[in-house]
Amino acid sequence: MWYFAWILGVTMAVLLASISAMMCDARECAPDASREDGTSR
Amino acid sequence: MLTEELVDLSRLQFAVTALYHFLFVPLTLGLAFILVIMELTYVITNRPVYKDMVRFWGKLFGINFALGVTTGITMEFQFGTNWAYYSHYVGDIFGAPLAIEGLMAFFLESTFIGLFFFGWDRLNKWQHFMVTVLMAVGSNLSALWILIANGWMQNPVGAEFSYVTMRMEMTDFWQIVFNPVAQAKFVHTVSAGYVTASLFVLGISSWYLLKGRDLEFARRSFRIAAGFGFASALSVIVLGDESGYTVGESQQTKMAAIEAMWETEPAPAGFTVFALPNEAEMRNDYALHIPYVLGLIGTRTLTKEMPGIKEIKTRNRERIESGIQAVTALEALRKDHGDQAALARFEQHKADLGFGLLLKKYIVDVSQATPEMIQQAVDDTIPRVAPLFWSFRIMVALGFLFLLLFSLALFYSVKGTFIEKRWLLHWALWFIPMPWIAAELGWIVAEYGRQPWTIYGVLPTHLSVSNLTPANIYGSLAGFIGFYTVLLVVELYLMTKYARQGPSSLGTGKYHGETAGGALPAGAPAQKI
Amino acid sequence: MDYETLKLIWWLLVGILLVGFAIMDGHDMGMGILLPFVGRNDLERRAIINTVAPHWDGNQVWFITAGGAIFAAWPLVYATAFSGFYWAMMATLWALFFRPVGFDYRSKIKHPAWRSTWDWGLFIGGAVPPVIFGVAFGNLLLGVPFHFNDYLMSTYTGSFWGLLNPFALLAGVVSLGMITTQGANYLMMRTEGDIYRRVRTASLIFAALTVASFALAGYWVATGIDGYMIVSAIDPNALPDPLAKTVEVAPGAWMHNYAVYAWAKWVPIAAFAALAASILFSRLHKAGAAFWSSSLACAGIIGTAGVSLFPFIMPSSSDPRSSLTVYDAVSSHLTLGLMLGATAIFMPLIVLYTSWAYKVMWGKVTTEYIAANDKSVY
Ligand code: HDD
Ligand code: HEM
Ligand code: HEM
Repeated sequence: MWYFAWILGVTMAVLLASISAMMCDARECAPDASREDGTSR
Repeated sequence: MLTEELVDLSRLQFAVTALYHFLFVPLTLGLAFILVIMELTYVITNRPVYKDMVRFWGKLFGINFALGVTTGITMEFQFGTNWAYYSHYVGDIFGAPLAIEGLMAFFLESTFIGLFFFGWDRLNKWQHFMVTVLMAVGSNLSALWILIANGWMQNPVGAEFSYVTMRMEMTDFWQIVFNPVAQAKFVHTVSAGYVTASLFVLGISSWYLLKGRDLEFARRSFRIAAGFGFASALSVIVLGDESGYTVGESQQTKMAAIEAMWETEPAPAGFTVFALPNEAEMRNDYALHIPYVLGLIGTRTLTKEMPGIKEIKTRNRERIESGIQAVTALEALRKDHGDQAALARFEQHKADLGFGLLLKKYIVDVSQATPEMIQQAVDDTIPRVAPLFWSFRIMVALGFLFLLLFSLALFYSVKGTFIEKRWLLHWALWFIPMPWIAAELGWIVAEYGRQPWTIYGVLPTHLSVSNLTPANIYGSLAGFIGFYTVLLVVELYLMTKYARQGPSSLGTGKYHGETAGGALPAGAPAQKI
Repeated sequence: MDYETLKLIWWLLVGILLVGFAIMDGHDMGMGILLPFVGRNDLERRAIINTVAPHWDGNQVWFITAGGAIFAAWPLVYATAFSGFYWAMMATLWALFFRPVGFDYRSKIKHPAWRSTWDWGLFIGGAVPPVIFGVAFGNLLLGVPFHFNDYLMSTYTGSFWGLLNPFALLAGVVSLGMITTQGANYLMMRTEGDIYRRVRTASLIFAALTVASFALAGYWVATGIDGYMIVSAIDPNALPDPLAKTVEVAPGAWMHNYAVYAWAKWVPIAAFAALAASILFSRLHKAGAAFWSSSLACAGIIGTAGVSLFPFIMPSSSDPRSSLTVYDAVSSHLTLGLMLGATAIFMPLIVLYTSWAYKVMWGKVTTEYIAANDKSVY
């Protein structure tokens, strides 16, 4: 059932990518933010 | 008169317009989900940078989308204008998914894309997020239905020919929807779209990083693209393998041509990595084999044989000879629906009707076909080998390169050091066009490899066209090429213009090149660099 | 449901989709027709465009879906009409090209020549399709020269210029007037000030034009044009075979249905009444009521063409028995039933979320709003 696999797969890929971005916030992007202009805090 | 010139021109026009439509489709399919990811992160974290990301990449999405719509309308009408007999012969089956696509997918995406762009101030953030999700789902559903239609052309299940209405008629809708070819095609194609969009975002973000501008924005975009792209690249390959398997099951001709496999090899067949196919002598001048692999891809067993081109031709000759019986019986039945002898003969040979119709290219009354004509028709059943062989290999090679690129991108983004890997950033930037190349080649494999059929084994291409004069098609083809060239230039100009401006095009006052702090005054020039 | 009922329902449904197209895409095409004339400077034009900015694509899908539905329900009509009217279809298609790009790209570059090019592009994209559809309907009423061979392969024997005869051009004027009125009435609801005054004038003029041309076309059909009639027995439940009937050409045959069915005459009457109401409400500054009136007029006018032709869809002038009718140009029983199910599920949903989208975006679009949101609107 590839249609079903697609539904699961897309959901998981979306979550994976979103988590990856949030890791950025938690770790190495934090210095950027304060260095650049601080508006995103 | 359906002359060869007319048929070739109609094919050329279809190929030009379809390949052109598919320049815009993959980015729509993938970028829609990348916007979902960015906005999901925004609604969770509430950081404005994610909203800016949605809006900036959304701008590029919109520029691309406009041409997707423009060129899609051409596709919708071309079946009627240029493939009239096709539309009559299979409209009972093919029209349904197309109409459902409109009802279920186009309406959804097109309505919500308006709210996506213009609803920011009028919807709360969860409502807006839902709008984005529905837009993404809508675009992917449109791929679903069109690929169900296209999958049916490759593997025509759930339908039967009726001599009274002189066309194919639907017998089982769900068989058409759950057609294994359609399923594999759908997931493979949308994954290809996700790869395309991920590489687009990855490459442009890399460019900002290389320039050292908008770091905060570009880093996050890069990471999202890396994550999503990795999953998608994996999926393209897995489903590419599945597509290969369904081809092996349903279209042995295409498989043999892709592999330049002239002789039936003992199971399990080897995979030809590289070869110089020689069509005239039906052999490869040089070939490099990996044993077993093809047998595994094509049949998933070690014991099933895969027929080579020569063997397929022998079988097709028998089917054409039986098809002659079907065609002549059909013609008798059309004259007199009550002719019982003809009906019995027709029922017996019905499965080979399409093969009999192949002879119509050479003679009107197929019962008079000479052995030379039959031989020509047999030769026609095999598409030209070299274009398929090479297109397929380039697509697959690119697929593995994407996987490598995204693996490295993901690896270094988890480690947090990608910004220093300038070679990686350069690679991503220069690789932006590659997914388009892979996708177009994929279509050429799928569609050119189906020749000489429009509906595999059922309706030959040369019978499918509209009864027009070649002059008509020269005219319309010239029109399409003219319009499409201008549109492409305009699109690429706007795309690069906005990509170069980057997030400063939003006018928030926070980004590269903008006066720090505060929004620009109203009415400021729209294209501030 | 039996085959005959399904065939009739699909005649109605295709009609509904065409009316939906005229109401929805009609109002933004009408906007395009009026744009260069009622918007006198860039800000005004942007205000006008932004009344439909969030909706034009959804509206256009009415057109696409009507095409898809004809493909699915009447494949022979889709095949014969689209290939026969080849150049008319190409012209429609190419005119439509200007719309997505016109909307989306116009305000992305701030050069006057660029912007005015796309304004005229939106004009073409708005004006050409309605005229062509009108002309096409005119030709359906006249009969189209095509025939089928034994394989049901159609051959069109007319020329493109043959489509542009006086009656068909008059039908094109009806259609253009109807769509422009629709656009003007929509703009009355969404604009104010100078723009409002200009579109109100346009609404009055074009509604009057529509009344006049529609009346003239009606008189012409009744007195000057031969209609078609099936003279052999019809088995409405039979498997579709367009070659199995006998058709005769007869003067006044397009009036036949009005004589047989008492309700039929109410369709053209409704069209006239709705156009009159549109004029009345525009004069009274009741924009919303005017819009619904002109929407009803679209239904009345398209309905009149449909009722006059019934059961024909596309009569053949060169080989009358090849004519396509609601009984013999249709898909199989299964496909019609299936598509009816799909429509029954999705159409209400579409109406629901489209209404929601309009509700969210509702309100007057002013030039001040455009100036303040320079970067986020079209
Ligand atoms: C970014 C694009 C992209 C990439 C990297 C690949 N493909 Fe692909 N391929 C497509 C984009 C595509 C496509 C455009 O989506 C096609 C064209 C028609 C279709 O169904 O999908 C396609 C068709 C297609 C077909 C023909 C299906 C048919 O005839 O019905 C096969 C066998 C494969 N692919 C196999 C592969 C394999 C084994 C790959 C990788 C390693 C691969 N593709 C990478
Ligand atoms: C559901 C979607 C599609 C359908 C139903 C479809 C159908 C067809 C038909 C009817 C033809 C003409 C007959 C023929 O030559 O085989 C054709 C040819 C072709 N199509 Fe597709 N097509 C679809 C999508 C696409 C897309 C998206 C592309 C590319 C991006 C594409 C690429 C081609 C090419 C390259 C040819 C020319 C092959 C040749 O005949 O030489 N197709 N297709
Ligand atoms: C021959 C086949 C095709 C036809 C008839 C067709 C038709 C259309 C049409 C009419 C539109 C414009 C819709 C609008 O106004 O919003 C469109 C856009 C689009 N098409 Fe195609 N298309 C074809 C092939 C494909 C294929 C093969 C795919 C994907 C795999 C695809 C995916 C899309 C997407 C994602 C859009 C974006 C716009 C939207 O959904 O509204 N199309 N297509």
